[in-house]
Amino acid sequence: MDAVTYPHTSVQDILAESMVPVRIPFDDPLSQEYSITWIPALISLDWNGGQHYRTVGFMAPDEMVPSLMLGCAKVYGDLGHFDTAFAAIEKIISNYPESDAAPEALFAEGVYRYKSTQDPAPLKKAYEDLEKQYPHNLWTKRAYPYRLL
Amino acid sequence: MGTIAWETDIKVALAKAQTIQKPVMVDFFNPG
Repeated sequence: MDAVTYPHTSVQDILAESMVPVRIPFDDPLSQEYSITWIPALISLDWNGGQHYRTVGFMAPDEMVPSLMLGCAKVYGDLGHFDTAFAAIEKIISNYPESDAAPEALFAEGVYRYKSTQDPAPLKKAYEDLEKQYPHNLWTKRAYPYRLL
Repeated sequence: MGTIAWETDIKVALAKAQTIQKPVMVDFFNPG
């Protein structure tokens, strides 16, 4: 990560613009508190310390940027700041459609649109979009029941 | 090339995040 990902301008830019980055050595007691068993482990927290998203393992810059965006989207969405979450999700879907984060972002969009309106239609749309764009993805399988809504 | 303004204390990072209302990204790493 130090050799490839963190030196990349796109990674530096999103961290500077959207997040407060903090590095903790794996042997710090905080690792146990957050149940860290392998590194690199990246966790997205809200400003009260609540966890919303985590990844384990190396990511190249073109995966890291949308993954960080998804971490932000999940923080904002889980806290009910839906418009900010949707803005981050739209950037992932538009700018990084081939990334591993994109299918989960589509899934999250359906969930947050449902939560913000109580209308189940966005959940069904999320499944339909996932089935069309990522037919074999994990998040398409997880959205499978929504086809019946 | 720019650099990343890493915090090294989670309490400091959370206090900063609280002020600016932005998420915290925690990187658990091997310092070598």
